[in-house]
Parts: sequence; structure tokens; C-alpha cells
Amino acid sequence: MELRQASSATELDGATPVHGGTEVVPLLRAGLLSADTLIDIRPIVPRGISRERIGAGATLAELECDPQVPAALREACRLAASPQLRNMGSLAGNLLQATRCWYWRLNWPCRLHGGDECFAQEGEHREHAIVANDFCASGHPSDVAATLVALDAVLHTSTRTLPVAELYRLPTEDNRATTTLEPGELILEVEVPPCDASVYLKAMDRKRWAFPLVGVAAARSGDSTRIALAGVAPVPWLLDGELDDATPLPGNAYKVELAQALVRRAKTALASA
Amino acid sequence: MSNTLNVNDHLYEFHSPAGTTLAETLRDELALTGTKVACAEGHCGACTVLVDGSPTLACITLAHSVGDAKVTTIEGLREHPMVESFVRSDALQCGFCTPGQIVSAVALVEAKAVPTRDEIRHAMAGNLCRCGAYPKIEEAIRTWQD
Ligand SMILES: Cc1cc2nc3c(=O)[nH]c(=O)nc-3n(C[C@H](O)[C@H](O)[C@H](O)COP(=O)(O)OP(=O)(O)OC[C@H]3O[C@@H](n4cnc5c(N)ncnc54)[C@H](O)[C@@H]3O)c2cc1C
Ligand code: SF4
Ligand code: FES
Ligand code: FES
Repeated sequence: MELRQASSATELDGATPVHGGTEVVPLLRAGLLSADTLIDIRPIVPRGISRERIGAGATLAELECDPQVPAALREACRLAASPQLRNMGSLAGNLLQATRCWYWRLNWPCRLHGGDECFAQEGEHREHAIVANDFCASGHPSDVAATLVALDAVLHTSTRTLPVAELYRLPTEDNRATTTLEPGELILEVEVPPCDASVYLKAMDRKRWAFPLVGVAAARSGDSTRIALAGVAPVPWLLDGELDDATPLPGNAYKVELAQALVRRAKTALASA
Repeated sequence: MSNTLNVNDHLYEFHSPAGTTLAETLRDELALTGTKVACAEGHCGACTVLVDGSPTLACITLAHSVGDAKVTTIEGLREHPMVESFVRSDALQCGFCTPGQIVSAVALVEAKAVPTRDEIRHAMAGNLCRCGAYPKIEEAIRTWQD
């Protein structure tokens, strides 16, 4: 394996980008990712933070305490991972983290790995998805992604500009990918439109250092409120309605009530903000 | 990429192949075995070192990506009063997590000499202790200047 330092966004040449490496290194070591060449993109990804633009190389630790960052995003970062991981992990890397589904992580030949079975549906799925879970039942692990969807953020990549929600796609029989990122495409900046108030609420198995069982991000601008959820679908889930049409698996119906309760609390918090 | 490391203010040359982690290089090549590896996948904090003053997991940091940054390991903190404070408070049982605990604790008190209880818990949340010495670890951090 080779490790190079990037000098421009156009010369990745099939190399695997690595920023903080908190996801790439464990995946490499677990044999879930193979790469002949890694390219350290830290020199070419912006990391400054201003009121409306955030460099995709900013670390979660930097976002957690910057008063220019909307409250929901600060809170999502504060409650994500551990202090060391927040010091190391970048915003872009967080958005592109792979599923935490243990079948996938243990390299079971499941649908997301190209196989024809979702082991979680029949097996252990307490932490898994309650909507859009018929093909792959993984629950999206990123607190930050759900928050950026609620904030209606826009990504600027090396080739295009897109709403953050369009970075994600539900995997299908024909295309197992969970993001729309093209090979060689780099996320460079995140544009966060101003809002009047925002909150992030997270249910987890312990108070610190756990992935979201359910995360609820809500942002209000004037009379309109956008709510997006982590941990409930294979992608960050923009809420439309009350989750009455959820399709929980036998072992995770508790998540529906949990999500509904957090949504109510988030709305109350926004109303008084 | 760089094959030198600045560790505890010494410059070392190293020869591990690309893909080697900082923890492996410190322990296996530079013989700095104070940094412990437990999970080797970023979960437990046993391998915490400072990189330019920030607590960082050496088990998932690529050695060649460290470059000119200054690495501080537990060996570089021998004289720090936090070590004595952990001894005074009896803040360990088996001791395996202790180097990582002390490294994180030092970064915390360097940023804020007298952290609140909540600040201690927030900053130390990434250092797990299987022996459950948490109350004593918290005490050691509260009383490090005594
Ligand atoms: C133990 C653990 C617990 C965690 N807990 C949480 C949690 O509770 N909540 C949460 O939201 N997250 C959590 N995370 C995720 C963590 O925040 C991410 O691992 C981290 O932010 C990734 O950033 P990185 O810079 O290290 O990414 P890397 O590992 O460097 O990269 C990750 C992926 O993104 C690609 N990439 C990186 N930057 C770019 C870019 N600019 N453009 C294009 N591609 C890019 C890489 O090629 C790779 O595929 C956890 C992670 C771990 C390991
Ligand atoms: S939930 Fe998705 S990742 Fe997990 S086993 Fe099913 S198909 Fe694989
Ligand atoms: S050994 Fe590095 S985090 Fe556990
Ligand atoms: S003292 Fe044994 S793991 Fe902490």
C-alpha cells in the first residue's frame, strides 16, 4: 500500500481519499476496504468555519464549540462519538461513514455487500431501521447528516452543488450504493442557510459515546419546520408526517414511539426557542 | 509521505510500511510501549496520545500521516503532576487504561486547569475503564493541583 499527499482535487487517480482516517483505517484493517493507494486529502479540503459556510475538513470538535455553527449542528457534534474521534474526524468523513450494521461490519455476504439476504431482518436488529427497511434494514448512524438535512444544507463538491439529502440514496437490487458520490469526487464545503432556531435530540444506550438509536434534528425558519432523523432508515430521513406508516421489525418497534416522542419534544423546544 | 516522527521532542526515523498505525510504530519500532492497544479499532481510548496537543487514537492514526505534528505519549508526561495525582487517588486497578486516561486528562487540564464535573465527564468519555475506576479517575483530575 502507498500513502500520498494530495496537492489538487483533480489528481486522485483512483486513490482512496483519507482525511482523519477514523473510518478508513478500521475498514482497511477489517478487510472491508481494499486500497492500493491512499491519498491524504487534508491539504486540499477547506476547514474554515464562517456563519454560512463550513469547510468539509473541519473536525467535529471544531464544530462542537464554534458559536457561528447552528445550535443543532453543535449539539449533534457534541453528542457524536468520543472526544478523541471528534478531534480526528472530519465533517465530510462523518457524512460518508459506512453503516454500523454488525452483519456488514463482520463481512457477512448481505445485500449491502452484494449478496441476496438481509441478515438483520431475520436476526438481531434492535438498533436497525423502522422505515424504508425492506431491502436493507440498516439505520443511518450519522447525527451530523440528519442535522444537515434538517438545516437544508447544500454541499459543494469538486464537481457539483447538491442538497445534502441528495448525497444519499436507498440501496436497491441494481445498485447497492448508499451515496451518490462519484469516484474521485471530493466534498469541499457545506453551506448552511440561516434559520431561526434549531435543536438536536438523541436517544442512545448510554449518555455519552454511543451511536443514535434515534436522533431527531429540527430547524425552524419563519413558519416552516424541517425535521430529519438519524438511526431510523438506511439514509438520513426527512420526516413527512408522523411516522404512522413506519414498518418496524419485530425487535425494534420501540423505536417508533421513541422517535415520535423525540419529535414532539423537538417541536416544543423549537416553539419556545 | 513523512517517515520521521517527533515524539516527546525527539525526532525519530521509522521504516514501517505505509498503512502501519502510529500505535504500532510507537510500540514495535520505537519501543515506546507506554501507549497501550486494547480494541485496535477506535472504541476504547487505551491508545490515546496527543498530536499537537489534541487527544488522538494512535491505533487508527496512520504513522505516515502524522508529518511534522508533535506527538506526546505517556513517556513524555512522566514529570506531569497528573501522574502523581492518579497514584494519590488510587485511580486504577489493572492499569491498562491508565496511560490513555492520563493523556486525555492532561489535555483537559492544559485547556482548563480547574474543570467542572461535567467538563471532566465530557472530556474523558472516550477513555473506557473495564475495572470501573471512574470515580477515582474523576477525583484524580479534580485534585491534580493539590
Ligand atoms: C467508534 C466510532 C464511534 C462513532 N460514533 C459516532 C456517532 O455517535 N455519531 C456520528 O455521527 N458519527 C460517529 N462516528 C463517525 C465519525 O464521526 C466518523 O468516523 C468521522 O467523522 C469520519 O471522518 P474522518 O475524517 O476520520 O473520515 P475518513 O475515515 O478519513 O473517511 C471516511 C470516508 O469518507 C471519505 N472521505 C473523507 N473525506 C472526504 C471528502 N472531503 N470528500 C470525499 N470523500 C471523503 C473517505 O474516502 C472514506 O470513505 C463514530 C466513529 C467511530 C469510529
Ligand atoms: S441491514 Fe443492510 S447492512 Fe445489515 S445485514 Fe441487512 S442488508 Fe446488510
Ligand atoms: S486501542 Fe485505540 S481506541 Fe482502543
Ligand atoms: S484500571 Fe483496568 S481498565 Fe482501567
